Amino acid sequence: MGIARKAQAGTLQSSDVMVFVEPAEALVVEIESTVKRQFEHLIRAQIERVLRAQGVTAGRIRVTDRGALDYAIAARLETALRRAGG
Amino acid sequence: MATQLLGRGDVERARRLIESQGLAFEPGFDDLVGAFEGDALVAVGARQAAVLKMIAVAPSEQGGPLLGAIVTELAHLAGAAGHEALFVFTRPSSAGSFEALGFELLASSGRAALLESGHGLARWLEAHRGLLRAGDHGAVVANCNPFTLGHRGLVEEAARRVDTLYLLVVREDHSAFPFEARLRLVREGTADLANVQVLDTSRYAVSALTFPAYFLARGDDAAEVQMELDLTLFGRRIAPFFGIRRRFFGTEPYCATTRRYNEAMARLLPGLGVEPVELQRRTADGAAISASQVRARLRDGRLDGIEALVPASTAAFLRSGEAAAVRERLRREEGRH
Repeated sequence: MGIARKAQAGTLQSSDVMVFVEPAEALVVEIESTVKRQFEHLIRAQIERVLRAQGVTAGRIRVTDRGALDYAIAARLETALRRAGG
Repeated sequence: MATQLLGRGDVERARRLIESQGLAFEPGFDDLVGAFEGDALVAVGARQAAVLKMIAVAPSEQGGPLLGAIVTELAHLAGAAGHEALFVFTRPSSAGSFEALGFELLASSGRAALLESGHGLARWLEAHRGLLRAGDHGAVVANCNPFTLGHRGLVEEAARRVDTLYLLVVREDHSAFPFEARLRLVREGTADLANVQVLDTSRYAVSALTFPAYFLARGDDAAEVQMELDLTLFGRRIAPFFGIRRRFFGTEPYCATTRRYNEAMARLLPGLGVEPVELQRRTADGAAISASQVRARLRDGRLDGIEALVPASTAAFLRSGEAAAVRERLRREEGRH
């Protein structure tokens, strides 16, 4: 799946995450999180897992996390990718 | 949870909630959203282009999820309207609430704070890393609406005094000449000056035209606060990145707004580590050259001898078909800056 257009999913509520995706030449993942210091590596790993599973190799993925659990991160990112699909 | 407020009754309730928080209701927004608890409107917020404003939460609901709900809804609406980076102007004491939602503080001047989402400033700076040089540098920030011999004189003189002169052209597109045309004429008009780097300010000049005054205290002067915020952003974030130690500007004989801005630079920049340098503006036939004269001549079709006021590249543009749309705009809105 590719990122054909800008899309977003999720909310800025506590325990949720807001995901923005847009087309880009390379794959860039930017993470902003209230728990960045402790959990950035886990959030990043989860995002990369979803991107791999969806076959996304290029695009800018911007994530504003407010303490979302793994499954919420996956669900929000998948939704954003589906909305951005070509 | 948050929904758009469209009816007149809801807008009126939004106004009351906003005013109850010591904020002013400013007409002029693209979206107004609110959240209800039963029948009561307990949170509200508005968006004007990429700027979020008038965000207010009832005291009983503060510290809860409503701020996130309002900002989420506004972010969705902004995204659908094509705005990715969002900006918030607010009281410095409220900046922390937005930082908790992932916004980054760009500047805080004591009376106002500016935040953005999306790391736009960091990316904008990073995109210019290739222009960084060792040495003693200066800056000119201008609309160049359009680029005149007055600008040229200022840039030439400033460029003589520094290693690199960064010439930042204000992007905010409320000028008679569209940004792309202004930028092109600046580039063409300075192409022979080897140590001048022309940049686009992107969103990182705080314009009076997008600055919302809804959060100011009674007696605060909106123009004054906007200038403080703009100069703080320049002095604290932009100048240090490029190694800019001096900011040059021309004497202002005509426009009261520009003169006030010059005064604000003289007063505030030293405290921000930037030396303000005012240079005498170039004259033609005994009068200082200004872009407003050039606009008036274009509007009235008096382009004979315009070469006394503008460089050849700007003169050619003024005589081209591209200038026709600008002339129309000038005729429609006479007197705009």
